[in-house]
Amino acid sequence: MEVLSFSEDAGLAGEVAAAGRDIAMLLDAEAVAVELDEVSAGLHSARKVVLVKGDRALEADPDSAAAAIVEVAKARDVRALLVGETKFGTVVAAKVAGRLKVGSLGKGKRLRVDAGRLVLERDAYGGKYLAQVAAKLPCVAVVQAGAYKAVNAPIAPVETLSVNVGEPKVATVEVRQSQRGEADIKSAPKIVSAGRGFARKEDLALARDLADALGAALGCSRPLSSDLGWMGEEAHIGLTGAYVHPQLYVAVGISGQLQHVAGIKDSKIIVAINKDGQAPIFQFADYGIVGDLYEVVPALTKLLRHG
Amino acid sequence: MNIVVLVKSAVDEAELRADPAGHPLLMGAATKMSNFDMNGVEEAVRQKEENGGTVIVVTLGGADAKKAIKEAMAMGGTRGVHILADPRGAPDSLGTAYLLAKAIKRLGEVDLVVCSEGASDTYQGQVGAMVAEYLEMPFLAYAKKVETNGGKVTCEQGFEGGVRVLQAKLPAVVSVVSEANQPRYPTLLQVMVAGKKAIEDLPLSSLKSEDYPETGMEVLDVTVQATNRKRVLLDGSPEDASKKLVDALKQEGVL
Repeated sequence: MEVLSFSEDAGLAGEVAAAGRDIAMLLDAEAVAVELDEVSAGLHSARKVVLVKGDRALEADPDSAAAAIVEVAKARDVRALLVGETKFGTVVAAKVAGRLKVGSLGKGKRLRVDAGRLVLERDAYGGKYLAQVAAKLPCVAVVQAGAYKAVNAPIAPVETLSVNVGEPKVATVEVRQSQRGEADIKSAPKIVSAGRGFARKEDLALARDLADALGAALGCSRPLSSDLGWMGEEAHIGLTGAYVHPQLYVAVGISGQLQHVAGIKDSKIIVAINKDGQAPIFQFADYGIVGDLYEVVPALTKLLRHG
Repeated sequence: MNIVVLVKSAVDEAELRADPAGHPLLMGAATKMSNFDMNGVEEAVRQKEENGGTVIVVTLGGADAKKAIKEAMAMGGTRGVHILADPRGAPDSLGTAYLLAKAIKRLGEVDLVVCSEGASDTYQGQVGAMVAEYLEMPFLAYAKKVETNGGKVTCEQGFEGGVRVLQAKLPAVVSVVSEANQPRYPTLLQVMVAGKKAIEDLPLSSLKSEDYPETGMEVLDVTVQATNRKRVLLDGSPEDASKKLVDALKQEGVL
């Protein structure tokens, strides 16, 4: 009996492998990390690794990745598959569940085993509620970043499997990488996040200065990355973007829609700066400053820089 | 072009209240078409406007899901199909995909299936991909731009690392994100006309065969998430408030 873990994201692969180890222990099974194409440097926590090589690059598209994982699952006695939460991973999980006709618990943070079933704790109703959802084994679950810590463990001998996945149904014509200027938001210990309170794209320099002074990564609420396009998709925090869990989260000019709050509630300390004292964000903040961000943010940045 | 758009009737989370034990009061709670689905419907209607054809709105849900279909019809859907499900024993994502795919197969030749990235109530993002698996169609996820041309669909997909341009042959399943378009607001007349259009009912039992996936999925519990925040407001001039904040953050050990 085995519990498989997979993430195409090198950082997340270690966390998901750690989740796999916990669940494998509860099921008296063996934890196996699935790596496609090559073993990523960031992979820790896995005692055992199956490396799958294909007739084409398997991590290039979800069709190929899902086909490879299905081959692994068919060749072994798999009780559960845990997939790291990215857009790619979410599609892969659904495809694998769809092909193997097993349940998918969806995406959530904490996993446990109850009466022989896998239970996932996940958000419901826009993140306002928490649901405990169980499925019989085998099943699939998508694990969000931050719930499990990757541990440095010696990786046991790699087993290699060769698969033939053929042409994917969807062709990737082009990949345009965004400028990754910002630190990875999903694992950043401090985050400054900008919202609609900023009137112009140029004004984001204020948020960036504050982030620099704090040594924080810069994120944003959905309107800035989608409707306005001022920031990249990777900076978008919330239900439909990244779930973050920093020590310090500073929300600047963010009103605090449920969809945004869903992504920040695991922050240790939340600070809100907003000119509207009635903004819902203050209900979700430890410390709030009701004021014009164009005055408060420079003052705060100055204080942090010069004491 | 024959287009199917999948919509979900979701509890309006902004209106949802909890009982004293923290469980959501779902009985009688207001429902509406899931917010994200407005972008799905808009995309389907735009594709119809560009290419001609029909937009068939398909949903699975209890009696109140009719409202969601009517919202989609008012935006330009030509036909509505309602898979009647008991809301108390709602199928899981795989079961939902199975039933939607079975219903779609009854609609004759379909060129494009559109859905949104996820539902506003659960946001698991699983059903679209699973429908594509059941239909054995390509799945183009998280599209912020959709173009159909010469029997092919091309999408721009936003992902954590940037943008991927994806292409597949039709028929295909596409999930769109809110950047894809600006949903239209139907006129009163459109709402009234849509309200009178007949919606075809498909009993769930007529779609379920022995190959229905029994995943044993069960929601064990749903409780409101506590927000145990300090909610301390720091007043004074921007400088004073900043000073108080820095002191507080040092006290908290996060600075």
